[in-house]
Amino acid sequence: MRVQRQTLSGVVAMGLGIVALLAIAAMPFWASQGLIRDVVELCCYIAVAQMWNLLAGYAGLVSVGQQAFIGVSAYMMFVMAQLWGINPFVAVVLAMIAPALLAIPTYGLLHRLDGPYFAIGTWVIAEVLRLGTSVFGYVNGGAGMSLRVMTGYSPMERAIGVSLLCALMLLVTVGGSYWLLRSRYGLALIAMRDNPVAAASQGVNVGRLRFLIWVAAAVGTGLAGAIYFMAQLRITPPSAYDPSWANIAIFIVMVGGLGSLEGVLIGALIYFFAERWFGEYGATYMVVLGLLTVFMALFARGGLWGLICKVVDAPWFPTRRRLMEDRT
Amino acid sequence: MQWLDGLVQGVLLGGLYAQYALGMALMFGVMRVVNITHGDLMILLALVGISLASTFGLGPWSVLVVLVALGGIIGIILQRLILNRVVGADPLPSLIATFGLSIALQNAMLQVWSADTRSLPSDGLAQASFQLGPLFVGVLPVIVLGTATVLTAALAVTMQYTRFGRSLRAAAADVEAAAMTGIDPKAVYAGATALAVGILGFAAVFQSMRATVSPADGAFQLIYAFEAVIIGGMGSIWGAFIGAMVLGISQSIGFRIDPGFGILAGHLVFLIILALRPQGILGKG
Repeated sequence: MRVQRQTLSGVVAMGLGIVALLAIAAMPFWASQGLIRDVVELCCYIAVAQMWNLLAGYAGLVSVGQQAFIGVSAYMMFVMAQLWGINPFVAVVLAMIAPALLAIPTYGLLHRLDGPYFAIGTWVIAEVLRLGTSVFGYVNGGAGMSLRVMTGYSPMERAIGVSLLCALMLLVTVGGSYWLLRSRYGLALIAMRDNPVAAASQGVNVGRLRFLIWVAAAVGTGLAGAIYFMAQLRITPPSAYDPSWANIAIFIVMVGGLGSLEGVLIGALIYFFAERWFGEYGATYMVVLGLLTVFMALFARGGLWGLICKVVDAPWFPTRRRLMEDRT
Repeated sequence: MQWLDGLVQGVLLGGLYAQYALGMALMFGVMRVVNITHGDLMILLALVGISLASTFGLGPWSVLVVLVALGGIIGIILQRLILNRVVGADPLPSLIATFGLSIALQNAMLQVWSADTRSLPSDGLAQASFQLGPLFVGVLPVIVLGTATVLTAALAVTMQYTRFGRSLRAAAADVEAAAMTGIDPKAVYAGATALAVGILGFAAVFQSMRATVSPADGAFQLIYAFEAVIIGGMGSIWGAFIGAMVLGISQSIGFRIDPGFGILAGHLVFLIILALRPQGILGKG
């Protein structure tokens, strides 16, 4: 008897994933400026959604205020690069200290709130940061900042930096989540997703694990924020702490499939193309997105990936342990 | 004097927030559900009221009657179509469903009413004021505070002494045990939601008479209602009222310190109370 986890579909997907990561890292040598911009945006959606998925799908923490971490790390990066003169590409990584430091006290405050109230509490934190940043003179208040130091780099240098950071971000958020789910903690997380009380009775330290996931998700979300606003070159409090980040994450995960890595990738692609094709319809498009989210929450909680799984069993990121009988 | 004025204006503002918060306290207490569309429904009622007033020439008090009735009907529809399917121990489905509905509702209102800010004509009521010692106090804010007090007292009495109130409290304590004693949980839930959205009819009329409304404002009203409920103590009707007062006073004093600091001061007081007294002012334990 032995335990098998890897499947054929998993090996194929892993190979394709590595090729995709290398292709993203090498974008400056094959892609146009416009395509790079699009891919950076898509990667940020994937990262933010995957972090939300980790929170809501496994840790049972529903947040509608992830924009707090987007904004705080993007602002930290702008301050480090523009005001302190740190290399902006290095600053993206260094700025991760900000969401991590923010996540610790916010969890301390918010974990006292019951499920749904926790969610609105996260929104209050994001609002506090938006309003606070708007009156904070050091970062130029409501007028926002521009990343003028980027003029010191050629377009090629910028493209290389952003592409490498993007590949790193996917590796950390998607690859990291996959690694986490396959590890010992993954078993604890899946047990917690299915029933936190039963998981606690089996020796899982639910409170501590939730806290760690909260901080990790803050850092992953923050990384996406810093990279996104580095590509934008400009930041203002309303754009940095934009609640639509929460909308995007929730839509992607709910449509793609809660509690699965595959679902996030599917959902992010759908959102990305829907935005390109139907974004021009503005408010009507948002009405459809909203209603689709309601529909998914009511009738198809596993999302599209859940529906696909009912038809074919070919996981891209297999985390199940299967007991195989050796015939010798 | 400036601070006394801030205090009085804060209490009056709290009257408006109490009207947002009552329905939320009721729904959370009974169903453990937070309705993210809470603020958007208030804005929807307000915009419908403004359109009714301008189309049929209705006065504010006739609009109030129509909106409270309409709120009750919307509440029952919301309960039947969505909340009944997602109410349960797991908070995720109800949050996500009402979150999606909130986005849809906000953008649908944007299509119908555009992003303009509007207000309800008040027959001069919004401008009327009287002198109270050294202070000038608006007549409308006093009416709002009075209405909020009466609504809170009526709701508290209903919860305490009526058959409906007892079934609400029974369902809140243990749905299954309540069902065993012959209470129909779905009817109780529908009643609670109808009552919660009906109260928003009052808030809609007063908000649109006192200030302006536009389709994107709902999120802020939701946050204020939520803060009032937490400050006061979850599940307590009078707690929601007191929390609304604390929030109103914090914002009003904050505005007098610096106009950019008003809303932020409210949020900060909320966070301080969450840190020092997480069960809220009237909360037990």
